[in-house]
Amino acid sequence: MKSHLQAWLPRIVLAPSFLLILLFVYGFIAYTGYLSFSDSRMLPSYGLVGFANYERLFGLRHWKTALNNLWVFGLLYIGVCTVLGLFLAILLDQKIRGEGFIRPIYLYPMALSFIVTGTAWKWFLDPGIGLESIMHNWGWTSFDFDWIKNRNYAIYTVVIAAVWQSSGFVMAMFLAGLRGVDSEIIKAAQIDGAQSWRIYWRVIIPMMRPVFLSSFVVLAHLAIKAYDLVIALTGGGPGRATELPSTFMYSYTFTRNQMGVGASAAIIMLIMIFSIIVPYIYSELRSEKRS
Amino acid sequence: MASLKLQNIRKQYNKLEVLKGIDIEIEDGGFLVLVGPSGCGKSTLLNCIAGLEDISSGDIMIGEKSVVDLHPSQRDIAMVFQSYALYPNMNVEQNIAFGMEMRGIAKPEREAAIARVAETLQITELLKRKPSQLSGGQRQRVAMGRALVRDPQVFLFDEPLSNLDAKLRVDMRTEIKKLHQTMGTTIVYVTHDQIEALTLATKIAVLKFGELQQFGTPKQIYDQPNNLFVAEFMGSPSMNLMRARIIEAEGTLTAHVATGQGATLVLPLHGFEALNAHKGTEVILGLRPEAITDEASASGQDQSKVLLQSCQINVVEPAGSDTFVTTSLGGKEVIARLGADAVVSAGESMPLAFNMAKAVFFDPSSEQRIA
Amino acid sequence: MSQSNSSNPTAANRRVWLRALLYAVLLVFVVYYLLPLYVMLVNSFKPLEEIRGGNMLALPHIWTFEPWKAAWSSAQIGVQPTGLKPYFINSIMMVVPAVTLSTLLGAVNGYVLTKWQFPGHGLVFAMILLACFIPFQIVLIPMARVLGILGLAGSTPGLVLVHLVYGLGFTTLFFRNYYAAFPTELVRAAQMDGANFFQVFWRILLPSSGPIIVVTVIWQFTNIWNDFLFGASFADFDSIPMTVALNNLVNSSTGVKEYNVHFAGAVLAALPTLIVYVVSGRYFVRGLMAGAVKG
Ligand SMILES: Nc1ncnc2c1ncn2[C@@H]1O[C@H](COP(=O)(O)OP(=O)(O)O)[C@@H](O)[C@H]1O
Ligand SMILES: [Mg+2]
Repeated sequence: MKSHLQAWLPRIVLAPSFLLILLFVYGFIAYTGYLSFSDSRMLPSYGLVGFANYERLFGLRHWKTALNNLWVFGLLYIGVCTVLGLFLAILLDQKIRGEGFIRPIYLYPMALSFIVTGTAWKWFLDPGIGLESIMHNWGWTSFDFDWIKNRNYAIYTVVIAAVWQSSGFVMAMFLAGLRGVDSEIIKAAQIDGAQSWRIYWRVIIPMMRPVFLSSFVVLAHLAIKAYDLVIALTGGGPGRATELPSTFMYSYTFTRNQMGVGASAAIIMLIMIFSIIVPYIYSELRSEKRS
Repeated sequence: MASLKLQNIRKQYNKLEVLKGIDIEIEDGGFLVLVGPSGCGKSTLLNCIAGLEDISSGDIMIGEKSVVDLHPSQRDIAMVFQSYALYPNMNVEQNIAFGMEMRGIAKPEREAAIARVAETLQITELLKRKPSQLSGGQRQRVAMGRALVRDPQVFLFDEPLSNLDAKLRVDMRTEIKKLHQTMGTTIVYVTHDQIEALTLATKIAVLKFGELQQFGTPKQIYDQPNNLFVAEFMGSPSMNLMRARIIEAEGTLTAHVATGQGATLVLPLHGFEALNAHKGTEVILGLRPEAITDEASASGQDQSKVLLQSCQINVVEPAGSDTFVTTSLGGKEVIARLGADAVVSAGESMPLAFNMAKAVFFDPSSEQRIA
Repeated sequence: MSQSNSSNPTAANRRVWLRALLYAVLLVFVVYYLLPLYVMLVNSFKPLEEIRGGNMLALPHIWTFEPWKAAWSSAQIGVQPTGLKPYFINSIMMVVPAVTLSTLLGAVNGYVLTKWQFPGHGLVFAMILLACFIPFQIVLIPMARVLGILGLAGSTPGLVLVHLVYGLGFTTLFFRNYYAAFPTELVRAAQMDGANFFQVFWRILLPSSGPIIVVTVIWQFTNIWNDFLFGASFADFDSIPMTVALNNLVNSSTGVKEYNVHFAGAVLAALPTLIVYVVSGRYFVRGLMAGAVKG
């Protein structure tokens, strides 16, 4: 009897966590999935309406704006963070005096809440008191920077703040990758006569493939989830110009009483994230098993 | 192909002096092995020759030309690394071609050179594979191929065999030796393995704490080590070192060594005139295990220098082709190397033949060889 | 990359210039990353008129602590002039138990998943891992209902439960990867010596888990402290966390915009995680990386 218990003990210990996740993650996904096919408005309701919510969703102008914004924001955010992160990592990898001082400065924004970041940038980019006013103060009176108030450009201010917050982290990932490169490989390339920049371009950067991949996955997932930053920085405005799927879902579910549409928006977000994450996790776990 | 001359090489990292004035010269076509314990500065010296590290002072000549101002790629050298340092994102062919590509060599020429080298090293079927799809031995060959294809003045090897298993290591050692004999290129080879050093080298440089301990042929290093460090480091099992007192008796010099049983072993010394200055003092006597054998094995040695003495055997270790036994002498366990079929068991006494023609003596305080 | 030792004077000259340029670029980015923090700090010490009329980058002419006092204890947040203080306390009451519980469970889960593997452990781990990445929007609706059913709606224990559940994935991941590298022979040896399931964990694994515990605690602390979505969705006055309160402070539509108070409040909200970062940046980075690159 005792040995029986011993054999089951590990599973019993793991069970509460697993059940919590089963219910609160997978059960809830199923529930929200069901709601997305239901006629829920202010409160959950269980009458099925087929794909009506999805049809409505993709007919909504706001949703199109949100998807469009996500596309612009995601692309720029991932692109700029990756390029800037790699660039800074390479610069910091040149035996810099004071690296121990510079590195934490590049990275600290990651410790802040998006709400704090949003607040700081909101006022710094505000034409009334921020950058524009500073430039006017310094005598550059024709300087014009009101993106945060401009429907067409506000989404780029979200990119600016988000890049500020995350690029240091990407830098840290690349720096760790660069530091992991076997120094003998670099020596070999030097003997082969490659210039510094060619060594980076032909030998080292191609070796950073896993870092590119994992930073892409992390950034893509952050981009799709991004919510707090938009709320704090622009509140989704001006108008609804900086709406993202995350803010769209929230406002349709909780302030506009369109729970069915909100649920279908959440499901679309899930599909987007999983289509990136699932293959990644699958290949990571497989390569782990192989080694 | 060219000679290599190192003149008073010094290298400092901040305050730490890693190379303390190294002078070495190796002739064209020579095989120089740098050997020494881990951390003694072998890799640093090799990197200095390659130009991967700047030297603090001194001069490096390849041929008759100083190369200290030249970039590694302009020194006409090639290097094989301990980790092989293959570019993981390129296949074997691209790895070998990379250096030529950087020097702007045209594609047809590159391909011809690769084919030639691949043939020599028998890696033709591996050309399209990535390094991750190769075994250790195959990676080793590719790394050598990358060096060979340059046809350099000097080859540099940094512990190239230390990541291979024992069997492969011996095979590759032979192969490197053959390669050297057919191509005749000057080689500088770093290892911490003294057997590799003795089998491969035409000249050996023994380093310790960044100082050159001895520079000479393998035979010189083995038979006449400059000091206690070289004596102990080179050879396996290492040289027996025992305390001995030099005493003149009836006009001949003798060395007195205490045995484990409280008796004294008296070894006559012929042809060690230098020891006259050490009469009455204690010195350290060095005898390699093969200079202490059983009577049968000693028959080939110069009998006038061989002394037979009964000793108590403490441990017997048969090792296939030899039998090693230990006995206490001069306060130490001393290893003797007997023939494979020597019949003896622990605790017994047996006569051991001491071949004094091979004896060396060191000053116990300066640790330098005195005779 | 080692510099080639060319004695050529023009090449040496060029290298000095390149080096100078390198440092200049690095410095520009130091300014870029520090600027928002600098702006928040200097303006939190200015009277309001100075911000409106003056230069945001200038140091205060008149130094004042009033904005800090206001942000902490008297600013209007929502309908009450309480300052951020009660919300700071709410956050603490939420973070401490959530971090403790999720770390503990994560440690045990990691232990089971590496040292007591059972058929299907790979699938269980994959499911737990995948849970790290879901967009939380997808659980908002059912979570609100479940909290209501459990009688935890709008309460701090409710938020603790939420953070515990959605933190489990990461804490399990961290400990699993850490324990995967822990020699299984040691576990076997302890079993031979008669240690049972819990004794092996308690006596063998836990004592050498210091680094990963630090990483996990920092990660969880930062994430939960900085959370906004769950706080905004599930909290009432008694449980509203710092981030939500700060957002309410900054985006309240009534009255004049007290920028100096907003900045002081933002720094207050950032302070705990910043302190953790300054004190243990090394572990913080390791946590980020562990979350990103497995193993
Ligand atoms: N870049 C460096 N900075 C400081 N010390 C170094 C550096 N490279 C090597 N050393 C030191 O120089 C000594 C010699 O190192 P090395 O040449 O690698 O030894 P080995 O003989 O094992 O190849 C060691 O004590 C090592 O710690
Ligand atoms: Mg070395």
